[in-house]
Amino acid sequence: MALKKAAKRTEPSGPPQLLWRRDGAECLVTNDFGHYAWLKRKDFDLLLAGRLGEKHPAYAALADKGFIRDRLDFDGLAAKWRSKNAYLNSGPGLHILVLTLRCNHKCLYCQSSAAGVGSKDTDMSAATAKKCVDFAFQSPNPGITIEFQGGEPLLNWEALKAAVLHARAKAKKAGKDLRLALVSNFSLMTEEKAQFLMENEVSICTSLDGPADLHNRNRVFCGGNSHAATVKWLKFFQARHARQVPEYRVFKPSALLTVSRYSLGRHKEIIDEYVKAGLEDIFIRPLAPIGYAKNLWGQIGYDAKAFGKFYLESLDYILKLNRAGVTLREKMASMMLDKIINSRDPGYLDARCPCGAAIGQIAYNYNGDLYTCDEGRMVGWEGDDAFKIGNVRKDPYRKVMTSGAARACVLSSNLESQPDCARCAYKPYCGVCPVYNYETQGSLWGDMAVNDRCGLFKGTFGALFAMLKKPANEAILKKWVAK
Amino acid sequence: MGGKMKKIPVTSVTADAAVYSAEALRLAAFVFSDKAEAVIKPVKGGFQVSFRNEVPGFHPGDYFNEALNQQCRLDLAKKNSKAAGMIATKALLSAAGEAGKKA
Amino acid sequence: MKTKAKGRTKIVVSLKEYSLETVRYAAHAASSAARVFIRTSGRDAAVAEFEPTGKLPGAKIAAAFKAELEDEKLRASVYEANRELRDFMILKALAASEAAQKLPQDDSGLTPEQEKELDALIAQVESEIKQEAAAGASADPLGITKTWEDKYGAKKSRKKN
Repeated sequence: MALKKAAKRTEPSGPPQLLWRRDGAECLVTNDFGHYAWLKRKDFDLLLAGRLGEKHPAYAALADKGFIRDRLDFDGLAAKWRSKNAYLNSGPGLHILVLTLRCNHKCLYCQSSAAGVGSKDTDMSAATAKKCVDFAFQSPNPGITIEFQGGEPLLNWEALKAAVLHARAKAKKAGKDLRLALVSNFSLMTEEKAQFLMENEVSICTSLDGPADLHNRNRVFCGGNSHAATVKWLKFFQARHARQVPEYRVFKPSALLTVSRYSLGRHKEIIDEYVKAGLEDIFIRPLAPIGYAKNLWGQIGYDAKAFGKFYLESLDYILKLNRAGVTLREKMASMMLDKIINSRDPGYLDARCPCGAAIGQIAYNYNGDLYTCDEGRMVGWEGDDAFKIGNVRKDPYRKVMTSGAARACVLSSNLESQPDCARCAYKPYCGVCPVYNYETQGSLWGDMAVNDRCGLFKGTFGALFAMLKKPANEAILKKWVAK
Repeated sequence: MGGKMKKIPVTSVTADAAVYSAEALRLAAFVFSDKAEAVIKPVKGGFQVSFRNEVPGFHPGDYFNEALNQQCRLDLAKKNSKAAGMIATKALLSAAGEAGKKA
Repeated sequence: MKTKAKGRTKIVVSLKEYSLETVRYAAHAASSAARVFIRTSGRDAAVAEFEPTGKLPGAKIAAAFKAELEDEKLRASVYEANRELRDFMILKALAASEAAQKLPQDDSGLTPEQEKELDALIAQVESEIKQEAAAGASADPLGITKTWEDKYGAKKSRKKN
């Protein structure tokens, strides 16, 4: 980008718009356009005073990134802001269909507050499932992802099939880009079901919490060995992915890790299990005290500091494996880095401004009730409908999108309105969760000064920015998000 | 009937109106409504905040931290409402499928 | 000035040097480690009282509070110097994205209505700046009283070459 010539000035140009975070003798500066730079203290002071001269070695790079007030490329920077915030132009892209509350597992941290297998009236009917699909297609977003969840969605196979076929037919007519995804514990998977899913290009995701003893301790399955079923079907789908057929595309299966207190201190074993299972991505997800997990928090929970330590140790180990030639990416890091390095929106609804509640995703409960997100639905299961935005049978699309709960979540997750976030150097890449705030701090706004989720995100960003300073790590991390 | 009624002790703190607005105190009272009942009464130079029916572990200092949090949010809203409003409006209009339509 | 009583630390802050809003935010930032209470002491001072809630001692909380006061003062001036520019950039980015979605691309990326809105915003900003200057702002180290053209160069046609 060519530097614009500024008029000759004799007085200082004034401070640029920037946010900063002091780190010892250095300062991390960022701006609304998603650019960042590390500056020594004295250079930071010069920059703020508008006295960083053209001859300074960092001047050109800083000007390029919008940190020199006299040299702002308005069109370029506006384009950067647009790209980073492209999601503001679309409606909800992710539609989570909770096909049933029934589940054959009793995971300790289950936030979906699953019901037992024999539970009555907790399945989504095929007719409701189709209505949900119809509703999803009313979103102005050109790309729709429908994700089937539960409980265990395979317990409601008929509704799943009906929704998949209806969605595929609808996508053809609507000309939208449709992705289908299934989140399952695999215990009820059969070859027949797998074939249907592959033929209809449904991507598959499961949970893998580590080696068998740890996985089974977190994910209690009375009907057998949860870990064994998970690994068996991961291998199955991986093998089919490797043997693609021309009629349909088979996606690589993926897995999620939920970190419980039992996971702490075992990061190497967990990561090794992912490598052993042939997975190339690991999503190290912290537990949140929402839904069922809230009741057992004393037993399975931890604070931001403990998770931060686990996460850093995990990231260090993953980078070490990368240096040894192993392909493994950490998903949360990848998504944050996509924002930091590429100014691109990776579709991580938890780290958006405003967050994805309603405007980025909708959770469809088994009975057709609509919620801002799956976490909001879990709060609803506890008897509090603060995050309910409508019902698929009764409420038109526009009414749902402009509901009180949707608007409240947009307002309260707008970082420009959050006193701590508006000042934070990580603001261009971060997001708050009104549901988390509500559940843990009693209000949608929360108090970021003492918010554990904020502490967790700050720890992650701190680690990533520090890693980006080291050339060896930087090369690997950039490769993870190479365009 | 006889004997004196035992007076239930009530914690009261006077908040400086220059620091804590009534709105901030009210919002904090709502956030803490499951921990204590906060009664806010205007007095000279400020507000008297009295706490009743506190749950074990409640501390008025935590309430005032929340009041400060709310006040900082209100301070920010005065300055930043244009930028915040543009983003929120755009997000909601786009999601509703209204972006680009004439009012 | 700092005083201590029963684990509490009191710091007196001059309101001639820091605005009350600055004191509030700096105290709020310290609330992660302490219960904080603020009151004014006359017109020219505020007293911030900290009662530690964790392991961090009062002296460290006080030091962090003072450092935050300085940073918040800086932030306030950076923010004020750039507020109109930020608003302009966000509007420009949002308006251009809407135009790109709905209409055939014109050279500026803005529809005639949006260009008009942008012109109106610029005119409003310039008028506010001129009003402030007329109201008697003395020193102007940040160039706030300068016109848009002086600050950012003469307005060129927004049509791309």
